[in-house]
Amino acid sequence: MTISSLTDEQLVSTIRESNKELYSEIIRRYQNKLVHYLRKFFRDQYELEDVLQEVFIKTYRNLYAFDTEKKFSSWIYRIAHNEAINHIKKNRRSSISLDDQEWELVDDSMNIKDKIDLNIAKEKIEKALIKIKIKYREALILYFFEQKSYDEISDILQIPKSTVGTLIMRGKNMLKELLEEK
Amino acid sequence: MNSEKNNIEQKIMNDIKSGKVKLRSKYIFLAEKLGVGSAFILSLLLAILFFNLLLFYLKTSDNLAYLSFGNHGVAAFLDSFPYLLVVSFVILVFVSAYIIKQSNWLYKKPFVYLAVSLVGFVILSGIVLTYTNIADSIEEESYNSRLAGNIFRPFLHRGLGERHGGIVGRVMENDGDLLTIQTPRSVKKVDISNLEESVVKPLVPGVFVMIVGNDDDGLFQAVKLRIIKEQEIQMVNKAVRRRFGSFTIHNTYSK
Repeated sequence: MTISSLTDEQLVSTIRESNKELYSEIIRRYQNKLVHYLRKFFRDQYELEDVLQEVFIKTYRNLYAFDTEKKFSSWIYRIAHNEAINHIKKNRRSSISLDDQEWELVDDSMNIKDKIDLNIAKEKIEKALIKIKIKYREALILYFFEQKSYDEISDILQIPKSTVGTLIMRGKNMLKELLEEK
Repeated sequence: MNSEKNNIEQKIMNDIKSGKVKLRSKYIFLAEKLGVGSAFILSLLLAILFFNLLLFYLKTSDNLAYLSFGNHGVAAFLDSFPYLLVVSFVILVFVSAYIIKQSNWLYKKPFVYLAVSLVGFVILSGIVLTYTNIADSIEEESYNSRLAGNIFRPFLHRGLGERHGGIVGRVMENDGDLLTIQTPRSVKKVDISNLEESVVKPLVPGVFVMIVGNDDDGLFQAVKLRIIKEQEIQMVNKAVRRRFGSFTIHNTYSK
């Protein structure tokens, strides 16, 4: 059985029991995903890297706290989410940096293309997202940009699925209102 | 960007290999889980017990009976209300709910449902406990100087304290307008010459009475008086018997 054929959960069991060096495979699997996710909270590359490193270290230290019956990806996203929120609270500042195409995901859902100049759409969405309360923002980020299901968001944010739906709906409405402001 | 990624991977793996970053022992997590679980169970059991004691207090003390005197009984009702029991019960329910919320065991369910279920479970279990004699045993224990007695005494003995505006106890002597009453704490003189309503049954020594009125320099001026069955105020009844013994004159009289 090759390393790549192991599921995340099997990999965690092996790391815990016998082979700590396999943790590099976890880092490889999640580094891009978490960079993508954390970029929604940190514009500064160095800040992002610091947080990312802390996430991987905390994940490793607490591997025994992970229940292998559950989904590892939700667990590591949860740690990343907590770390990002703590970092933002500590430094009292937050920023959003969308990838070039990501604003289109928001546009698909809200159809804002007709209302804003395409060139400023990305910037406008970034600014609008910053203005939204963090509890709505994090749900929107996970749903739109990380393409997580309600169930996964529920596991990451540790809130009921019905609350996830409410946060996304309210967040979308707030975002729409902010985008429509002249 | 790729070299930065490799740097992070390399740095973390170096820290792991060198032992700078270590796995926390599984026993630490086990101990944490056990600790949180035990704290939850303890707070839940205590909340149930305190609710049961609250019911016991309301049933066996004079507290609720003061309300039957209308406005005159409000002061004595408030004075004899088991605030400590109620506050402890509420705090314990909050602690249980807080542990559930913080531990995220049941985050899939809305917290309101959990809170309502928790309160419902505690109340129901407290009611079921009234079919046992746990509260009686605790009350008995509260008279002892052992640890359990010292812990529970402040919660229950409010039911036996002196009241402002009210007296409950056993009639010891009846001199026409002046009654001598044995209360759980002391002997009180009560002037019943100004009662708003006359008492139908005779105030023979040995009967238990509840009186509302005003304390006037050691002599209690009764406004309303009611004869009460011993079993309606068992806590007071037991405390009076414990302090003054059984009443032989009354027994002779009733024969």
